[in-house]
Amino acid sequence: MTKLTGFLPPALARPFAALGGLLFLVAAMLPWATFLLNDGAFPDKATLQFFDAPFELTGYRWHLLLFGALVLIATFVPTPGKARVLRAFGWGGLAISVISAIFIAGKGGGIGAITSADGNFALGPIVGALGGIALILSAGAMPLPDIPQWPTKIFARMGPRGRGLAWLILLVAFAAVLYLVSLTLTAGGIGGAAFPYAGPIFLAFLGFAGGLVGALHGMGVTGWIARLSEEYRAFSIIVLLLCAFALPFTDAGSQYWMQVAATIGVYAATAIGLNIVVGLAGLLDLGYVAFLGIGAFVAANLSGAAASTVGWNVPFPVAALISAAVAGAFGAVVGSPTLRVRGDYLAIVTLAFGEIFYRTALNNIGDLTGGSNAIPGIPAIEMFGKPFNEPITFLGTDLPSGVLYYFLIVLVVAAVMAVFANLKNSRIGRAWIAIREDEDAARAMGIATGRAKILAFMCGATLAGLAGAIFAHKLGSASADSFKFLESVTLLAAVILGGMGTIPGAVLGASLLFVLPEKLREFEDYRLLVFGLALVFIMRFRPQGLVPDRVRRAEFAGETAEGKPIEEVQEQAVLEQELELEREHEAPSGPKEAGR
Amino acid sequence: MSAARHSMSETVLEASGVSMIFGGLTALNDVSLSLDEGRIVGLIGPNGAGKTTLFNCLTGLYTPSQGAVRLHGRDLPHDPAKVTAAGIARTFQNIRLFPNMTVQENVLVGRHIRMRQGPLASLFHGPVFRRGEAAARQKSTELLEFVGLSGLDDEVARNLPYGDQRRLEIARALATEPDVLLLDEPTAGMNPQETEAARQLIFRIRDTGVSVVVIEHDTKFIFGLCDTVSVLVQGEVLVEGSPETVRDDPRVIEAYLGKPREEVEASISEAAAAGSVVDHRDAGTGEEDA
Repeated sequence: MTKLTGFLPPALARPFAALGGLLFLVAAMLPWATFLLNDGAFPDKATLQFFDAPFELTGYRWHLLLFGALVLIATFVPTPGKARVLRAFGWGGLAISVISAIFIAGKGGGIGAITSADGNFALGPIVGALGGIALILSAGAMPLPDIPQWPTKIFARMGPRGRGLAWLILLVAFAAVLYLVSLTLTAGGIGGAAFPYAGPIFLAFLGFAGGLVGALHGMGVTGWIARLSEEYRAFSIIVLLLCAFALPFTDAGSQYWMQVAATIGVYAATAIGLNIVVGLAGLLDLGYVAFLGIGAFVAANLSGAAASTVGWNVPFPVAALISAAVAGAFGAVVGSPTLRVRGDYLAIVTLAFGEIFYRTALNNIGDLTGGSNAIPGIPAIEMFGKPFNEPITFLGTDLPSGVLYYFLIVLVVAAVMAVFANLKNSRIGRAWIAIREDEDAARAMGIATGRAKILAFMCGATLAGLAGAIFAHKLGSASADSFKFLESVTLLAAVILGGMGTIPGAVLGASLLFVLPEKLREFEDYRLLVFGLALVFIMRFRPQGLVPDRVRRAEFAGETAEGKPIEEVQEQAVLEQELELEREHEAPSGPKEAGR
Repeated sequence: MSAARHSMSETVLEASGVSMIFGGLTALNDVSLSLDEGRIVGLIGPNGAGKTTLFNCLTGLYTPSQGAVRLHGRDLPHDPAKVTAAGIARTFQNIRLFPNMTVQENVLVGRHIRMRQGPLASLFHGPVFRRGEAAARQKSTELLEFVGLSGLDDEVARNLPYGDQRRLEIARALATEPDVLLLDEPTAGMNPQETEAARQLIFRIRDTGVSVVVIEHDTKFIFGLCDTVSVLVQGEVLVEGSPETVRDDPRVIEAYLGKPREEVEASISEAAAAGSVVDHRDAGTGEEDA
């Protein structure tokens, strides 16, 4: 990306930006496919000429039109963080164009589908991609501005009216987030044989959402909102929670999406738990999903399911607490080798633990897991006389079945977030981070590193166990196959992808990694390939994760305040010291040498 | 110069007959060192003489093969964390801050051992927790002011200039409320002004009642700072005494600077065979390390 900087002479930056915007506008109006695809018209009437149906511009073509208009505004109106904004729109538009182009060409059986065939021309994808490239080049020719820091204190100075204004801004911002989440979740619809276009539409939507959020970030808006929400913390938490509860009332409020959202919630809670172990304490755990499994099997055995062998039926809250406690105890057991092994060796130990758990569960050792038959028929959670798998009516709105699980998981995720945040900002959390940074120095500061590491494993495992209890009830069965190595890797990827050590990072990572496979169903065999490619790209261009914490941002910036890499400064210091020594050394012998 | 002032003080830290053997290598051989309350003791010697090894023995990182280290007359526990709790804090030769934590967080980690917050308090952030946290932050602010890093609380440690990183490491060590502070080459890589500032800082630390042991290569710095100086050569104490005594001792000059040229040339083959010539220029890069 850095190579694109300075590719264009600065004088051409603005013309290229305008050109990019225009190309976006034009691309949105051009047809995108030369013929009807076999599986039916590519959505959003991609084969139509704009002038055939100017008012039916929907989906990604509408997004591109919007980008084009915004780019033209940003080009000619003074915009804070202009180069960053243009660059974000450029990459977003490029992503939309390239994803759609690849898909149309692939499904249509060749390049002809996106260029010309049978006398028809469909140059939309190419024009769109060129627009994106023009914008990226133009942004590279401009000086890259710092992200503007908008003031947040002015509201406090304005008294009660200022606070009302700040609340209103936060309310609007969070409502927009809710809307974006709902749109993202439902973008492309339900994938699979019934609707083969879900994948590309969803990916193209991610390009749109990414471009938009990137532009807002470049303008300093997201940072401003984040700081503002920090200032009015209690209010923000309440509104965020309300927004989460409001999701079923949006377009995403169907049974299917509620189920997906609840599953994401389970994995998000688990990922936050893993974030304690990996993100804070820096202990690589490759068998973490085992704790989710332990929680699930404990809950399954206490649920009164026909296949459970314990024969002890307790109410769900009790079962959930027992699940969490048992998983936590196993966490301590797995954590104990960390006293002796570090780094790669620890990863291998945890990998082995995960595999031991999976094999044990699969072979039904101890007769607690049902083996390959799993434990089916786990009854739904029933609290306050209401089974959780039934639809409900709330505020005059009919909500689909599964929505109660969604509400429950929102509460659990909120609780897990609170646990994570509180631990992170405490003596224990600092000890964990210190161990991650430099274990020997941490010991020298009086931290009992062994105990701290076991505690990290215990806390992480407890949270996973809790999530596992809900997981078992929600699925209605607990099967060893849900807790394979691949799941551990995906969870780890969620934490690293989202940004280590942050809550929004873990949630975003878990959402992406568990929604993507759902959305990419029609890619069938290529699904994991696309998934892997996406990971590689994100790690290449944003190694600090999507939502890095302040500290990791600094780490990947890799520079000191004076702009030199830290190693260089240290090297130089050592060098100077050696020179000085040498001078001292030579001083007495110098005259003698001269005398000879 | 200040010997009279401290003549009544008692011994805080005492190493007696400490030997450290790694496999076939004797890094320390029967080393004794004693530190009186409110004193500054210097430890000098060529590279590879065993200075840092001695530090590691004094902080519980190594368990001496022979001999004992006593703090306030009690044997030192063989665990760095417990040694810190007992009242010994250290800095490292090659700065070992927590690079991605903020300046304040680094000092707060130093407070770890003096804070009483269990897992439950950390989970629920009750009023007692918040009081403890506020007190720790207050202490951290004071310490940062003491070492001259005021206002840099939220800076990420790795972004500090080199000299400030050294000072932050000292603030972090002081946060553990030590009786004894061990400084491993505190002025390495500093210019003369920074070195002088470091000297003043160490005096101020001494004035708060903390006893200090300093390893340095800069002999001028050591002689102007310490009440007593020990010279360590090849794992043994060569000379020990006031800066004046040590400075004028011919054995120290020989160990540090080599023999006069004529003598060296006369016995060049002999010296090479015995392997007793200590040459800085060759040893310069291979510093002993923990």
